[in-house]
Amino acid sequence: MAARNAGGAARPGGPNRTCQFKLVLLGESAVGKSSLVLRFVKGQFHEYQESTIGAAFLTQTVCLDDATIKFEIWDTAGQERYHSLAPMYYRGAQAAIVVYDITNQESFQKAKNWVKELQRQASPNIVMALAGNKADVANKRTVEYEEANAYAEDNALLFMETSAKTSMNVNDIFMAIAKKLPIGPAQGEPTGTVDMNQPQQQQKGSCCK
Amino acid sequence: MSNKYGDEDESKKAKMHLKANDLLCVNGCGFYGTPQWENRCSKCWRAHQNELKKSQDFAKNKSLLSFDQFQERRKSTTESKSRGIKNLFKASPIPESGASSPTSTSPASTPTRRRDLSPDSLEARKHFTDFLVANLSTAMAQEIARSVKNAVTKICEMRMNPDEMSELVMSYYQYLGERIGGHSLFDSPDCKVKVEDVMDQVEKYISTCCYTTFFCASHEEEVADVSLQDRIRSLHWVTAGFLETKLVFKKQTVRDKIDEGISELIEINAKKSAFEKLECLTRSCKAVFEALKESESSMSADEFLPTLIYILFRGNPPLIQSNVKFISRFAIPARLMSGEAAYFFTNLSCALEFARNMNHESLQMEKAEFEAYTTGHLAPPLSVINSACNQAMYVLEGTIETITTVVKKAGGLASNLTGVHGKADDDLEKMLIVIKETVDFYPTEEYLKMKESIFGEEQETADLLVSLSRQSSESGRGTLSTSADSQPSTPQPQLEPSLESPLAAFSQK
Repeated sequence: MAARNAGGAARPGGPNRTCQFKLVLLGESAVGKSSLVLRFVKGQFHEYQESTIGAAFLTQTVCLDDATIKFEIWDTAGQERYHSLAPMYYRGAQAAIVVYDITNQESFQKAKNWVKELQRQASPNIVMALAGNKADVANKRTVEYEEANAYAEDNALLFMETSAKTSMNVNDIFMAIAKKLPIGPAQGEPTGTVDMNQPQQQQKGSCCK
Repeated sequence: MSNKYGDEDESKKAKMHLKANDLLCVNGCGFYGTPQWENRCSKCWRAHQNELKKSQDFAKNKSLLSFDQFQERRKSTTESKSRGIKNLFKASPIPESGASSPTSTSPASTPTRRRDLSPDSLEARKHFTDFLVANLSTAMAQEIARSVKNAVTKICEMRMNPDEMSELVMSYYQYLGERIGGHSLFDSPDCKVKVEDVMDQVEKYISTCCYTTFFCASHEEEVADVSLQDRIRSLHWVTAGFLETKLVFKKQTVRDKIDEGISELIEINAKKSAFEKLECLTRSCKAVFEALKESESSMSADEFLPTLIYILFRGNPPLIQSNVKFISRFAIPARLMSGEAAYFFTNLSCALEFARNMNHESLQMEKAEFEAYTTGHLAPPLSVINSACNQAMYVLEGTIETITTVVKKAGGLASNLTGVHGKADDDLEKMLIVIKETVDFYPTEEYLKMKESIFGEEQETADLLVSLSRQSSESGRGTLSTSADSQPSTPQPQLEPSLESPLAAFSQK
């Protein structure tokens, strides 16, 4: 947390490498996907000027050791009817957070489906995290911490219970993802060419990991 | 014909007694049907054929419309990158090598280019050159201008299909990006622009040049677009309510923002370069967000996508499919992979995909119901939110509101008026009494004379009547006895109005 700063950051190609990553948020509707992001993005920087675009697309820069990581966060519609459209969103994403509501067993089942789908269809190097949101109302919990944790361990996911309301673990989960992301020298280049061919970039990333 | 008769001969034996009903059109329209037309009458048959063709068209074009093709193509772009670059630069001079080679090719290529460049492209070229001159050092500007010029020449000369051209353009973007990206000029503090800005301008120019030749170039694409448009039109009944958006249509600001979003979405088709098309899309999406903000709904993707789908259905923008294809073919790939515009572009692609594949399950209703709505056989039930997004409905609502206030005001006015009337009547009565008293107390000569003359006249009339009745009773008894009885009473009612009428006339004055 202390390593984070407001990203005065981001001179491409400078000594401090800047890497941009696409992070996609998945999960049933109303589990608090967007409030999680809003807490992460705006809780830290009130002067942030992207509030006009709402919470569907946001960016946030974090500093990690010697690299600057720019998260580009893509929210997805959680309703069942739009489920089939999800591949278009997670295409080319380097990270994903699958969110469920700890007071809603069904949302946990949905989250498991998302994880399964990502394992099958997303790019193989995608960093996945599982977030059990609404940890502030733990007294109404229907999904046990141990259950979710065991599931996450089985599937090699990052796992945290979060609360967008109290901001518990919100920054931590993003930082944990940042640490797992491949930061290769190739990605220090200007984005104009870096992002050009997604598959290639991921290959570069994986070999430098 | 003979064949048909032969068939019927055999069947005649089997069933001689054909009922008249069996000969009628199966649609039950009352006309006779023909076996040739599957027992339909000519009119129903034609309608049936049309329906069939429509659904076949859509099924056929569905594959053309699919998004997967873009992805595959994009993959192949990467693979055949080296080939593409080679093709594009085989004959083109490398700017670094000096001025000798460009001069050798330009005389040959100039006439072709002149003929091929549309006015828009020429304008784009001028804009592009101005940008380079204003922002970069002369050497750099010349180098880029020359390279792009050659690329454009190639684009205009080469006759290939859009996908192949897209491959070439993509590789060219990467080639140019890498070339100028490594340049130390952009790192120096006095350089006002970044590599990306230059690439934006390059993309703007090149995609404008590609527009004439490669936008909606093939017949299939056009047909696919039209059938998608038909499809969206048939889904006109899918309103905000069915998509479960949280828009508050009661607010004028929300409606304005929605209209703004729709017109920006339609505007995409009017722009030539991929960059400007994406700008329109971005503005449209921002208007959607503002509409959500005005509706005090959360501005997450859960709300955003349904609203975008709703405005897509409402606007049914022309050639939207071709526009999406054009953007994905000729925009800088990075623009479609990351950034705000990329997110909105993905959402638009999703909305189109949803429109293509939408069925009864996506709206959680019965299949028959969905089909009945789509074909127009049934109108969807009215509900508050469904009706609320109908233009006519809120105009009507506004009118009703106005009428209600007018009625209320009219009621108030009427009661006021009654009060005034009553008061006036009271006053009038009081005044009449006062006048009567005054006149009685101080009678003028004229009044007395008039009174006398009236009295005299009445007396005469009464006498006349009495004498008349007497005469008639003598001549024909019985028949006029009733009139004789009633006569004496007549003077009295006559007296009263005649007394009052001058007073009334007086008071009116």
